[in-house]
Amino acid sequence: MNKFWVITKEVYKKNIKSFGFIVMVLIPLIIMGFIAGMTYYFSQEAQNAEPTPIAVVTDDPALQELFSDEEWNFEIAEDITTEEDAETALTAEDIEGYMVINTDAQTLQAEIVHANELSNQIPIITEVLTNYQTMLRADDLELAPEQVMSLTEPVEVEETVVSIEEGALTEEDTTDRMIQEWSAYAVSIAIMAFIMTYSGIIAEEVANEKGTRIMEIILSSATATNHFFGKLVGVIMVMLTQIAIYAAVGFGAYLYFRDTDFVQGLIGEMDIMGMLQELLGYTLIFFVAGVLIYVILAAFFGSLATKMEDVNKAVTPIVFIALAGFYVGLFAFTSPENTLAVVFSYIPLFTPFVMPFRIASGTVATSGIWLSIVGTVGFAALISAVALAFYRSNVLVYSDTNILGTIKRSWNIMQSNKKARRQRDA
Amino acid sequence: MLEVKNLRKTFGDLTAVEDVSFTIRPGDIMGLIGQNGAGKTTTFRIILDLLTADEGEVLWENKHLSKKIFNKIGYLPEERGLYPKVSIENQILYFAQLRGKKKSEISPLIDDWLKKFDVKGKKTDKVKTLSKGNQQKVQLICTLIHEPELIILDEPFSGLDPVNAELLEEGIREAQGKGARIIFSSHNMNNVEELCDSLIMLKNGRQVLHGAVRDIREQFGRTKLFLESDLSREALLEFPGVQRVEKNRDGIDIVYLTQADEGKAIFEVATRNGYIPTFSQQPPTLEEIFKRMAGERNE
Repeated sequence: MNKFWVITKEVYKKNIKSFGFIVMVLIPLIIMGFIAGMTYYFSQEAQNAEPTPIAVVTDDPALQELFSDEEWNFEIAEDITTEEDAETALTAEDIEGYMVINTDAQTLQAEIVHANELSNQIPIITEVLTNYQTMLRADDLELAPEQVMSLTEPVEVEETVVSIEEGALTEEDTTDRMIQEWSAYAVSIAIMAFIMTYSGIIAEEVANEKGTRIMEIILSSATATNHFFGKLVGVIMVMLTQIAIYAAVGFGAYLYFRDTDFVQGLIGEMDIMGMLQELLGYTLIFFVAGVLIYVILAAFFGSLATKMEDVNKAVTPIVFIALAGFYVGLFAFTSPENTLAVVFSYIPLFTPFVMPFRIASGTVATSGIWLSIVGTVGFAALISAVALAFYRSNVLVYSDTNILGTIKRSWNIMQSNKKARRQRDA
Repeated sequence: MLEVKNLRKTFGDLTAVEDVSFTIRPGDIMGLIGQNGAGKTTTFRIILDLLTADEGEVLWENKHLSKKIFNKIGYLPEERGLYPKVSIENQILYFAQLRGKKKSEISPLIDDWLKKFDVKGKKTDKVKTLSKGNQQKVQLICTLIHEPELIILDEPFSGLDPVNAELLEEGIREAQGKGARIIFSSHNMNNVEELCDSLIMLKNGRQVLHGAVRDIREQFGRTKLFLESDLSREALLEFPGVQRVEKNRDGIDIVYLTQADEGKAIFEVATRNGYIPTFSQQPPTLEEIFKRMAGERNE
């Protein structure tokens, strides 16, 4: 077997079997399961909620009837007819609140007293009472029902969202745009989550082997290139496994639950296929390129650490860069046309976080998207080359100085080796 | 045959090794000694192609040593390292695979090797459950199991008790019997004297001693005399070539001579009445030579 695959397989096997991996895969599933469970529980609770006992004090029995409708989920205490009785009942906590509604000519006046139980319903109550008042006045003016309708008819508003591209207006589907924005949002969170976990994993892999000098055995068995990319591919395969597990669990859950009312209520409006298509487009390219760049950087920084304990210190710069990208991305979510967002969307380390939002908001031309993709992929290739060049000498430097000191010494070794090789070959 | 010719390696202003040359034939064991920072690890790294020499070359069977012979190398770095969470068996298999062996070739050998080195524990045990000594033995197995032709051991004896050190010695001898070329560094001169055919001593990157162990010692002259006789300390000190006299714990006088020839005169006087139990004129031990060489020019 090729040594590259020996290394890849070992990295993969070791990580997949580790307790950390199992925890890492399970935790988001458990959290999601918990949230779904809670949401389901509360929605069930709301449906089965006990009716709120209230009193309606009014001269107009029609008003009392208005609130006894099942939709309100009120239990009207019909025996309470005076404000004093209502107050006593509220004090005794027999009811949760009461309304005193006076009809003076065609004007309604309502007072609602409650123990903060009716706050959510106040706007609807107001609307219903307003409609009732409208009806009373219409009656008084002897208007026909059609006339009332024509008076209260709402204005017709039609909304068309367009994108301005190459001097032409194209109509845009708003739901499509929302899907894009949310998938951009999901991707930037996913990139962040994967960078955090996998940059840590690969930096640890490398630093561990360096700290224990296993690296010297390995580099006297296989080339640095084989080792570097073997590790990288191994870790990426672990990541793909995690994604595959989520995809399988997600698809399984969808098949199993899709017909239940609850799930229908949640996703019925969403276009699942449309979302998948969005995710599989540019977004996927940015996801892959983004994670790749950061994982390569992490391998490089990991090779700078001398001991396992220094790993966190070594990957800190990466985490900060990623965090900065993430926040600029969130900023671009709200103002995609801001100069800062535009500039950052073309800087390779930030592109994966920012560009998806600009694409979603339609503020970037296709040529711009491809320019940023080429930039990102080119940058990924460039830093792999640089990281690899340093890697060979990084792993031989065991200084206790800071990272810059290590880079300097590593650079010296690299130059010294290069010079020596040139002389030898000459 | 491994030939190392005139190696020179500098890092900026620092000269790590300078003009280091030696040859190791199949079945030869060479000891590399020197104080910390003398250039031993740099020499190893150049041989292993982890570093490129500024000058000089490393030849394997008359050709440049390159990654083509990686599979024939067994290397034990100074600081031991294994993957703590991997089982003994998988660890050995992984390193052997990296040396180009197939799993199926190595798998059947593992039990025998674990027995040979008396490793306590099952091969399915994780490395971290082993004691330090046992981990070290597992690492030695990883270094030797693929039957390398060039074996480089950086301080292999450090941290081993005498029983385990003997197991290691046996392992090295076995590899020697199979024709491997072996280099090891050690701070324990007894190991070097016992095992090595030849040795090199580095000091500040330069080769200050080189040759067969016996020759090197003889080169310093038989200036150390173990004597058990009726001559008193004072009487001994009166001889012109006697530098100083010490008594060891067994009551034997150790007489330090300026010239090996002076021994004859002492022998004549000491044996004037016939039999004496001890008269042994020895060259300095490697340890004494090491200390003397390390101390020189630094004072």
